[in-house]
Amino acid sequence: MVAAPKLREVVAEAVAAGNTRIVVNLSGTDFMDSSGLGALIGCLKLARQAGGDLRIACVEPQVQMVLELTSMNRVLKPHSSVEEAFSDE
Amino acid sequence: MSEVLACRRLRGEAKPEIIDALQDEFDVLWEDASFVTEADRMTFSTAVVEVASNGVQHSVGSGDRPVELGVELTVTRNRLQASVSEYGAVEAPAGAQGEAAALELPAEDMESGRGLHLVRALVTTVVYERRDGANIWTLRKNTAS
Repeated sequence: MVAAPKLREVVAEAVAAGNTRIVVNLSGTDFMDSSGLGALIGCLKLARQAGGDLRIACVEPQVQMVLELTSMNRVLKPHSSVEEAFSDE
Repeated sequence: MSEVLACRRLRGEAKPEIIDALQDEFDVLWEDASFVTEADRMTFSTAVVEVASNGVQHSVGSGDRPVELGVELTVTRNRLQASVSEYGAVEAPAGAQGEAAALELPAEDMESGRGLHLVRALVTTVVYERRDGANIWTLRKNTAS
């Protein structure tokens, strides 16, 4: 809940600086609630509006569960590593 | 009635700091109830933190004093139970009252509206009550053990 506004801030700065292909490394996030999920969705929209994309990597089990139960894993598909997140391009 | 094997309580102003305190209470709770599986711990604590976070972010005070959040966690052999109370808050909107909450998930690009859907997917029952000027959510999760 405390980290969510910080995430928005960091991603907004990155997008404003022209970095629109963003990977969020979630390896240090062992707990996320729906406000954290909302922040990720907001950041995804920001990146896409700027012509880029936002992807997530190294998802811990609790975060994976929250993504699945809200069906948001279809939009925010977890990638196994930061390097792999944009490997399809 | 099943014997209470572990119990933790906390109460404080409805500020973000109380969520960290709640996470600490869970750590102690699981030490006292080590038989609870990792899967049950994860689902139950996610649901309780979601309801408590909701209280911190959205509760509206009914008077001059700030809203206080109270959480009581109880473990019996077959059940995990939590009551999350918003003291001194106006009644929760109908759409946020547990069972009454909308069943459908919001559109994929919506940034909010998933909290109670998530809670209901994680626990066995969610009950909302308005009692003595407080909003009280009672979450129960039947466990495998």
